[in-house]
Amino acid sequence: MAGVRVSALSKSYGALSVLRDIDLEVAEGEFTVLLGPSGCGKSTLLNAIAGLDDINDGTIMIGGEDVTAREPSKRGIAMVFQSYALYPTMTVRGNLSFGLKVKGRPRAEIEKRVAWAAELLQITPQLDRKPGQMSGGQRQRVAIGRALVQDARLFLFDEPLSNLDAKLRTEMRVEIKKLHKELGLTIVYVTHDQIEAMTLATRIAVMQGGRIEQYAAPDELYERPETLFVAGFVGAPAMNFLPGIWRAGAVEVDGIRIPAGALDLRAPVADGTSVVLGVRPEHIGLAEDGAPGEAIATTMQFMEPMGADTLGWFAMGGHRLSVRLAPQRARAVAGATTLALDLRLASLFDATTERRL
Amino acid sequence: MRGQSGAFSPVRLGIYGFLLISAAFFLLPLYVMVVTSLKSMPEIREGNLLALPGAPSAAAWIKAWSTACTGLTCNGIQVGFWNSVTILVPSVAVSISVGAVTGYALSLWRPRGAALLFGILMSVAFVPYQVFLFPLVRMFSYVGLNSTLLGIIVIHTIFGLPTMTLIFRNYFASVPIELFKAARVDGAGFWRIFGSIMLPMAVPIIVVAMILQTTGIWNDFIFGLVFAGRENFPMTVQLNNIVNSTQGEREYNVDMAATMLTALVPLAVYFISGRWFVRGIAAGAVKG
Repeated sequence: MAGVRVSALSKSYGALSVLRDIDLEVAEGEFTVLLGPSGCGKSTLLNAIAGLDDINDGTIMIGGEDVTAREPSKRGIAMVFQSYALYPTMTVRGNLSFGLKVKGRPRAEIEKRVAWAAELLQITPQLDRKPGQMSGGQRQRVAIGRALVQDARLFLFDEPLSNLDAKLRTEMRVEIKKLHKELGLTIVYVTHDQIEAMTLATRIAVMQGGRIEQYAAPDELYERPETLFVAGFVGAPAMNFLPGIWRAGAVEVDGIRIPAGALDLRAPVADGTSVVLGVRPEHIGLAEDGAPGEAIATTMQFMEPMGADTLGWFAMGGHRLSVRLAPQRARAVAGATTLALDLRLASLFDATTERRL
Repeated sequence: MRGQSGAFSPVRLGIYGFLLISAAFFLLPLYVMVVTSLKSMPEIREGNLLALPGAPSAAAWIKAWSTACTGLTCNGIQVGFWNSVTILVPSVAVSISVGAVTGYALSLWRPRGAALLFGILMSVAFVPYQVFLFPLVRMFSYVGLNSTLLGIIVIHTIFGLPTMTLIFRNYFASVPIELFKAARVDGAGFWRIFGSIMLPMAVPIIVVAMILQTTGIWNDFIFGLVFAGRENFPMTVQLNNIVNSTQGEREYNVDMAATMLTALVPLAVYFISGRWFVRGIAAGAVKG
C-alpha cells in the first residue's frame, strides 16, 4: 500500500476549467472519499490520479514516486467503475485474470490470486459464468474482485454503488468497509451520496466547482463545516440556515434576536456583519421538554415521519426550521411551539465569503 | 383499429393487391431466366417466353459452367468463378481487418486529427469511382501492381475502407468507454485491447461487414476489368464476355444459366445470413 499526494493539479477543457489548483494528500491505509454534486470534478480528479485523463498542470505522486507522466498500468493502481465495465465476452475467471495475464504473471500465481479474490467476495460458484448472466450485485463483486487480484498500491472506486438498488447498496457498503479494514487497502472513492461518504471514509474531500471545499474526517466535517456549501451538502436532513445580522453578541434574524454567546467562534465578529447561522435539526429541541438552548417562538407546519425519527417543520418569521423529534413525541406537537436552539454545536458563516467564522 | 377494418376490408384488399403485383413484377424476370435456361434452343425460337420448358434440361447450365466461350478460350464461366473466389477471399479479409483497426483507433483512441481524418475519408467515399481510375492505373503501372491479383486486392481494400471504417467506428463508439478504461488500467495496450476485448465483442458487426463486402466485391465489374488483368478477370467480366461475344447463334439458354450462376453467391449470402444481417444492424443501432 502507498499514499497519494496530488499537488497544484489543474485541468481544463478549452476555456472551461474543471479542476483548479487541487492539493490532496491520502495517507497509506486511508479511505478518502471525494464527495460532491454532479459536475464538481470529483470523477475527473479520480481519472487524473488513474492516468486516464490528461492534466494541464500539477504533479501526482503515488507511494513517493512521481507518476504524473506514467501510463495507468504503470501507476500500481486498480480501479472499479460505476458501470462495472466487465469484459462481456470473458467469463468471471477471464475477467479476474486478464490484468495478471497481460502483466505476464505465471499461471499458478494467477490461479491462486483469482481463487483468493473469488473466495473473499463469495463469487467462487460463478467463476465460469459470463457477466451477462449475473445480477448487478454479483457483477459489482466481480468488478471489485478484478481490482483486488492486482497487487495494486492504490484502489480507485468511481461511484461503484450508484447502479445498485438501495438494499444491495447498503450491503456492498459494509462489504467494502470490511475489505478496507481487513486488507488495509489505500482507497480513493468517488461518490455523490453523502451517507456513503460518511459511513466509509476516514477522510472526506468535499468538492464543488473544481475545488476542494474542505478535506477532513467525517465527524469534523459534520460538526465544524468550513464553508456554507459543505454545511448544506453534508447531512440529511440538511442543516437549517438562518441569515441575519451580527449585533452585540447575537444574531438578528428578521428582527428576532438570538443570543449567540454559546457559539464557538474563531475570532470576534464585527457588529453589522451579514452572517448565516447554521443549526442541525438534531440540535433543536422542544423548550417545554427542557431542551437546552435559546428559546424562539415558532408555529408547527407539518411532520415528516422517517421511521426512527420524525422531522418536524416549524415556521419562524419568514424562515422554516426542521427539527428531529422522537416519533411518539412529535404526534403531540401542534400549533404555537417554543423551540430551543442549542448553539454550542451550531456554525456561523460570513454571508459574503461563505466561510466559517 | 382492429375489428372495424377486418382482414378483407377494401383497404386491405388494395394493399395485398399492390404487394402481389409488385412481387410478380420483380419475380417475372427471374422466372423467365430460370425457364429459358432449362429450355433447348429450338424451343426458345418458338418465342413462348413465359411457357414452361417442354423437356427441362441442365445442358445449358453445364455448358455455361464448363465449355462456354469467353472470347478465344472455351472453358466456361468456371474460370471466372474461381478467379472471383481468389479475389474475394483475401479482399474481404484484408478490407475488414483494416477497417476494424481504423474504426477502433478512431473511436476509442482518438488520435490527434481523428475527426479531420474521418471527415476526409467520408467525403472521398462520395467521389465517383471513375474519377480515380486513370490516376490509379498510372500509379499501379509505375509500381508494377497493374493487372495483378495483389493489385485488385489492394483496390478493393482501399475502396472498402470508408464504409468499413464507418461501420466499425460507429460500433466501437457504442461500447461503454469505461470498458476501455478498465482494460487500460489492467495494462493492456492498443493491440491487446483490440484482440482480446473489442474484436470478440464485434462479431455481429463483422458478419454485417462480411455480407456488405462479399456482395460488393463479387458484383464488382469495373475494378475487375481495369485492375485484375486478363488472367484474373472475375466472374462478372467473364459473364459479359460470354454474353457479348457472339459467334453465330446467340445461345439464350446458356447466357441465362451463366447469369444465374454468377448471381448465385450474393443470393446465397443473403439467404443464409439474412437473420444475421438484421441482428447485426440491430446490434449496431441499440446501445447495450
